This record gives sequence, C-alpha cells and structure tokens, in this order.
Amino acid sequence: MIKIKNLTKKYGNKTVLNNINLEFEKGKVYGIVGENGAGKTTLFRCISGLEKFEGEILSDFKPLKNYIGLLLTNPYFFSRITGREYLQLLCNARQVEIQDFEKQNIFDLPLNQYASTYSTGMKKKLAIMAILLQKNQIFILDEPYNGVDIQSNLIITELILELKKLNKIIIISSHIFSTLNETCDKIHLLKKGELIKTVEKENFQDLEEEMKRKSIGNKVKEMQLK
Amino acid sequence: MKKYFSLQIKLSSRKFREIGIHPILAIILLISALIALSIYIFKKTEFAPYIIVLLTLSFTTKLAEIKRNEFLKTIFKSNQHIKIRIIENLILAFPFLIILLFYHSFLAVGLLLIISIGFAIQNIKTDYHFTIPTPYFKKPFEFTAGFRKTFYLIPLAYILTVISISVDNFNLGIFSLLLIFVIYFSYYFKPEEEYFVWTFNSNTKSFLFYKIKTALLHSSYFVVPILLTLSYFYFSEIWNILLFLIIGYSFLIFFIVAKYSTYPDEIGVVQGIILALSIFFPPILLVIIPMLFSQSQKRLNYLLQ
Repeated sequence: MIKIKNLTKKYGNKTVLNNINLEFEKGKVYGIVGENGAGKTTLFRCISGLEKFEGEILSDFKPLKNYIGLLLTNPYFFSRITGREYLQLLCNARQVEIQDFEKQNIFDLPLNQYASTYSTGMKKKLAIMAILLQKNQIFILDEPYNGVDIQSNLIITELILELKKLNKIIIISSHIFSTLNETCDKIHLLKKGELIKTVEKENFQDLEEEMKRKSIGNKVKEMQLK
Repeated sequence: MKKYFSLQIKLSSRKFREIGIHPILAIILLISALIALSIYIFKKTEFAPYIIVLLTLSFTTKLAEIKRNEFLKTIFKSNQHIKIRIIENLILAFPFLIILLFYHSFLAVGLLLIISIGFAIQNIKTDYHFTIPTPYFKKPFEFTAGFRKTFYLIPLAYILTVISISVDNFNLGIFSLLLIFVIYFSYYFKPEEEYFVWTFNSNTKSFLFYKIKTALLHSSYFVVPILLTLSYFYFSEIWNILLFLIIGYSFLIFFIVAKYSTYPDEIGVVQGIILALSIFFPPILLVIIPMLFSQSQKRLNYLLQ
C-alpha cells in the first residue's frame, strides 16, 4: 500500500501540488486525470522520489523507489545504446538476470538497433518492456498510450490487467478516457494542483460527460469557425 | 549571418556562465590549455601536427552533425548556409592553425584547411542505423555509448604504441597508454538523466563502487594489450609503466567521482581547477578522490536512499 499524506510541492512561490491525500492499494489500478499542467507528472515524480516535497508518503515497500517501475511521458535514451542494451542497463540496475530478451519482446522491437533511432511509440514500448522486466511491485505509467499504435494499445491494456491480477499497484495518467475506463478501478481528478474529485468505476461515464462539458463548453462555437 | 554568429556567442557565453566561469576567463583558460597541450605534444612526438589535426577534426565533426545542418539549411539560403559552415569551421580551426604555423607544419596546415572546408560542405551522420559492436554489452552504458563515439581513436593509440616501439621512443609509448585513458575520461564528462541513477536499487556508496568497478574492468580491455606490449619491449622501464598505469586508473576514478560530485549539474570550474592541480601533482588524488566520493554521496542522496 502507498499512502500520501498532505503532499505539497512548490517551485519557488508557485504551488504545483497542494495538500494531496491519496491511497493506493495492491491489486488495483488508479487513474490520474487532469488538464495539462494540473500536476500529474509532478505527483508521479514525488511518489518516485525524483522530487522533494512537503508532506509524507508512507508505504510497506522500503525504500519505496526500489519497487517502482516508472514510465516517463518522454522516456530518455542515450544516443548510442541499442534497445537490448537499454533493457540490460535497467535490469542490471535492479539486479535482475535475464538471459534472453528476445523471448520477452512482446512488441517485436528491433532490439539490436539504436534506441534513439526508434519512433516515439517504439521508444515508449521499449521503456514499458524495461520496467516490466525489472519485476517491479508498483507501476507508475505517465501517458503509456501516447504515440503507440492501436495493436500495442491493446497489448498495454492487457498488460495492465495482468499486472492487476498479480496484485501489483498500477497508477496511470492518460488523456484517452476509454483506456482508463477499461483498466482503472478508481480515477482521481486533479485541477491546478488540487485533488478535486475521486470517482469509482460505476461513475466513470458521468465523469467523462462532466469533463467534456466543462472543458469544451461553448469554446469551439465561440471561435465561429467558417 | 551576423545575427547568427552573435547568437552563437551569446549561447557560448551562457554555457560558460552556467558552469560558473566568466566567458573571457574561459577563453583565456582554453587558449592557455591549448598552448600548453601543444607544447607538450610537440615536445613528445614528431607526429604532433597530425595529432593536432585529429583533435581539430573531432571538434569540427560535431558541427557537421546532420540534424544540426538540416536545421541550418531550413532557415538559411543554401549559399548562406555553406558560408556559415565554412566560417564556423575556420573559427574553430583558427587557434590550431596558428599553432601549426608556429611549428612550421605547413603540410598539416593545408590538410586542416581542406578538412575544415570539406566538413562545411559535407554533413556527417552521427546517429547511424547500423550498430557498432562493443565488448561492453553486459554492462551498458558509459563504455558502450562512449566506445561507439570514439572507437576510431582506439586504433590510433595502438598505432602510436607500434610506432613508439619501431622508433624506440618510450615517451611516445607512454603517450599512447595515456591517450587510451583520456578517451575513457571523455565518457564521464556529461551527467546522465536522473532516471538512470534513480532506477538503481542500491545506496550511494554501492552505486559509486559499482560505477568505479565497471570502469576499471572495462577500461582494462584496451589498456592491458598496450601495457603488456610496452612492458615486453621496455622491460627496464617497468616501474615507470606501472606508475603511469596507476595514474591513468586514478584519474579515471577521479572523473567518475568528479562527475557525481556536481550531479545533476555538469562538472564545473572547481573540478577543473582540482584536475589541473592533480595533473601537476598526481599524489594529491589520494586526498581528492575520497573527498569527491563523499561529495558525490551527498549529491546522489536524493535519488538513492
């Protein structure tokens, strides 16, 4: 379990996250949604220990960061590292021995090619594969579906559901509501750094409607496109 | 075009200021280092002009990188783009040309001019789709990525070893050994993204020891053949060879701990001054390395609990 108590994050005078209280349980999938700049990525970075913050994060896993598989929105790749070497690097970092990466290559990636030459979607798939191979207990996936083809989208959804069955904690942010609908047990809505709503699975449809209404409103009509 | 170059000056000044050094002082230091290095190389080997040409080449290839040039092509007319590239390369080559002229190495001057203009016209693709094999695949990344960037310099070091034996110049042999180490040092100039430190499930101490152990092991792959060759042909100088070997390994450790002592920022002017002091008096490393090691631990603490 992960328990976030009164988490506040400031950059200078600007408060990016304000008094966040959340709980994540094993075997559950959580969605974090909100507009661009709502604080989703900062929240992920705080949970992962990449940012200092005020407040507390309590967990059964100690140290928490060693159990987290973090997928960044734009995973970084060194210019002359192959896909295979990237996987090897991340497995070495967690002392995980893998003999044959090819067997685990569910996305059919060209592992002997430099990762920096991969397309956006391929890079994301490689990064996902790496955190899966690390055998983590908690998965924080920032926009896992971004730039990924439809077939891989289906695979990612299946993977998330499989991880849930394995009693892992999964936290996802996504701008594609249907993917959250399929995978999440609970969705937390962030707005300007504040947690404004938590929605259970049975109310996802209402949340989508409400978000549509609030974010679109009359804005498009007001543009008077001709 | 004038605006482009003033922007480049502004960008370079900004970079120097970011590492905490005044741009004018940085230029003075760089020129002094270049002069000192040239005097040293010209004193040690008759191949100095070619080493200077290669050194310039390594800088100009960075400017000839294909993505950078494609960007320049999209914003400038084609003749203007080529003019800019020629001027850029000549500015970069200028201090080296002066040194070569000073030493009357006219052939190298001609060669350098041709290369500078040639690289302005021809772009270089630095991100190849074919994979250069490395012996370091088991433990990526510094040596894997670094080797692929500098692999062409390793045969050069070996050629210098062979030449040193054929002309019976021990100093050149030691130079070739140190050249290999200098290539390895370059692998540690830039800090990696935080993610690649964060992902290690070890504490700061074991993380740093892991990095040092990997570096010592991996650097030996290309150091040992030169070491054995020099030891065989200059057996009477074995103690000197071992001394330079220890110095090489010590500086390699220095670069690792120096990199993490400023992490996630790049190595700054303070580390540069410490490095200069250590070059003049290497035993000082016995104090500096533990000091930087402990600083590195503090800097890495927020990522590795």
